[in-house]
Amino acid sequence: MSGKVLVVDDSKLMHKMYEVMLRPYELVHAVDGRDALAKLGENPGVDLVLLDINMPVMNGLEFLEALPSHALGPPPVVVVSTEGRREDTERGMEAGAAAYITKPFSSSELREVIDRLLGER
Amino acid sequence: MSGPGSSGREGGRLDSPDVTGTELVLQLRSTLDRAAELVRVLESNLATLQRLGHGDAAESRAASGRRVEELEQRLRTAETDVKELASRLVESEHQAGRLMNLYVATYQLHSTLDPDEVQQTIAEIAINLLGAARFALLLRSEEQGGCEVALEEGIGDDDPLYAGGVYSGGDELVDATLEDGVLRLGPKGSSPVLAAVPLRVQNVIVGALVVLGLLDHKPILRAEDRDLLDLLSAHAASALFAARLYAAKDRKLRSLESLVKLARRE
Repeated sequence: MSGKVLVVDDSKLMHKMYEVMLRPYELVHAVDGRDALAKLGENPGVDLVLLDINMPVMNGLEFLEALPSHALGPPPVVVVSTEGRREDTERGMEAGAAAYITKPFSSSELREVIDRLLGER
Repeated sequence: MSGPGSSGREGGRLDSPDVTGTELVLQLRSTLDRAAELVRVLESNLATLQRLGHGDAAESRAASGRRVEELEQRLRTAETDVKELASRLVESEHQAGRLMNLYVATYQLHSTLDPDEVQQTIAEIAINLLGAARFALLLRSEEQGGCEVALEEGIGDDDPLYAGGVYSGGDELVDATLEDGVLRLGPKGSSPVLAAVPLRVQNVIVGALVVLGLLDHKPILRAEDRDLLDLLSAHAASALFAARLYAAKDRKLRSLESLVKLARRE
């Protein structure tokens, strides 16, 4: 599989983790929601977004709300968060996420979701 | 109608005027005997052929049966192999995931000499890789006579031992770990601590990482989390001490440079 994935997280550790886990994919890095919207504008070929929820400046849910007005045919968004209660998952999915993964996660779990979503496109 | 010379009895011998009735009968008997013999031979050959035909079919069926059995055995072996390979693949992926976590954690811990960034990395490892929601990083402090709470996350009124930026003792698991440097998992006795991880710098116990609570969706610490705890034990303090040392030396160097500049102006 290949594709361009936008990684949105304020943790340097997580950016490094995605680099290692998603080696065949081309990654675009953003540190918060606002940065992610800018990166989407600069990279129209993004196939998928991995999105943290708790971030400064613009959090993940605010990014999801802003996403449709910023891009034509937005890519699927996978929320990757430490917030793992049922209501958190529901809130994320209602906001437009295509999948919801809780941290800590395994590389196989992440790749399975990404491969499925990219396969559907 | 019969033509000229035709007697109505055709065939050379019968037409022969020398052949008597008796001879004719004998010839007929002889012919019949030969015909009978021929019939017996044909019947015998036919029976042999039928017998041979039946034998081949039976042998062929037996051979086919043996082949099917052999193929079924090979299929069963292949299925067993596939299951074992799938199991090994899952185990390998699991192992690769653990190694990725350890690699990334180590890489990130030693990627900077900024003490704040190292502390931030320790917190990120605890939250994102371990699934800790409440934890404190304790570092021995000669000045304070106990441990400095260098980093804390999710610590509230329920954990008064870690309030005010100082830990002065009081949790049996944490105190024992600070004493002997052994990683302990709880809760145990009166201690609510889930993990007390000793922090070492050159085999000297310089503090402890205390995990008090996990994220809601992570009920317990798993076996593979032990690797991360061991890694933090070995690397977190040394990375933090190296960064603090570098920052202190850097500050001193800048002060000296400022003094030199000041002196040169004078």
